[in-house]
Amino acid sequence: MPDNFESFIQQHRDAFEGPGPSPRVWEALEKELGGSRKGKVVQLLSKNWFKAAVIAVLLVNAAVLFYMTRHKQHQQELANILPEMQDAKLYYTSRINEKLELINAYPANQLGLDSAARQELQLRNDTYKTLENELKNNPGNERIRGAMIRYYQLKLDLLDKILEELQDKHAAPTHLKKRYEAEI
Amino acid sequence: MNQTQIDGNVIDRCKRGDVRAFRELYNAYAAAMYNICLRMTGNVSDAEDTLQEAFIQVHRNIGKLESNTSVTAWIKRIVVNHCLNNLRKKKVYFEEVEEVEVAEEPGIDEDSFTWTVSAVKSAIHGLPQGYRTVLNLYLFEEYSHREIAEMMGITESTVKTQYMRAKEKVRQIVKQQNLIR
Repeated sequence: MPDNFESFIQQHRDAFEGPGPSPRVWEALEKELGGSRKGKVVQLLSKNWFKAAVIAVLLVNAAVLFYMTRHKQHQQELANILPEMQDAKLYYTSRINEKLELINAYPANQLGLDSAARQELQLRNDTYKTLENELKNNPGNERIRGAMIRYYQLKLDLLDKILEELQDKHAAPTHLKKRYEAEI
Repeated sequence: MNQTQIDGNVIDRCKRGDVRAFRELYNAYAAAMYNICLRMTGNVSDAEDTLQEAFIQVHRNIGKLESNTSVTAWIKRIVVNHCLNNLRKKKVYFEEVEEVEVAEEPGIDEDSFTWTVSAVKSAIHGLPQGYRTVLNLYLFEEYSHREIAEMMGITESTVKTQYMRAKEKVRQIVKQQNLIR
């Protein structure tokens, strides 16, 4: 049971509330939020890091392509000659496509990548197509097969990192939340 | 504290990084939260700094706010925790205050003096920091003794003892103020 003092406080509770803070608090806060906009710049820089990663993938592939053009061999269908490559292709492409689907569920402004960079994220970009053709033309070449697997792995790593960052910074699109949990 | 109604849409927009929505949120809660800071810190400058820091924390963490959580309770908890952290930084050791305080004063007949808001405010302001913190959290912010104990990192019995002593001290101060007038 409240005593006189507690009763007095309860009865006069509103009288103990003063006016709000001075406008300078919001002004300072807004500057700090500007600082977190700086954070967004950092965020963008880290997205530029994505771009750098995309470029790195391209460079690796360019080097592989350069090597491959000098080692053309027989022209045979991949599936007929190297069934294990076909299995690897199925495995990696399905995983990559899953990740791409998750990434593409985010609005473009959250993804922060321009259309060219987004295109590079796609599995079947020009680099991939060229690489695939080279593999068809040189199915027995270990280096080309290794390069193809490396391409898949690099792409998968890159997509994983982008997804991690997106999940850290933005709420997952609701329809994909359960799938995220499954992914994690 | 007046119950503040914030549209769920404002929270959603805040979560998407909309600064205008965050300003709406700030405007809705600033006065009430500032008053908490002012009571806890005891001065305008610290109260404003604490309020600012707390709202930065609110901004950073709003994405984690779940839809079934009370926005008011969530923001208030952040503000109170900031106040307590700032007090700790100023080397206010809550446990020690109990030890420093002298033996219990004899009971005071409350019919012998008059309570006034200004006298109570002044008396609370004059309390040792530990007492003031406990009293504010219990009387004004309506946390339970157990919640206060958890937040302050002291035992529930210490909270109860400090609260009783704080009330007694306020009575003494208000009575003295009555006599002076």
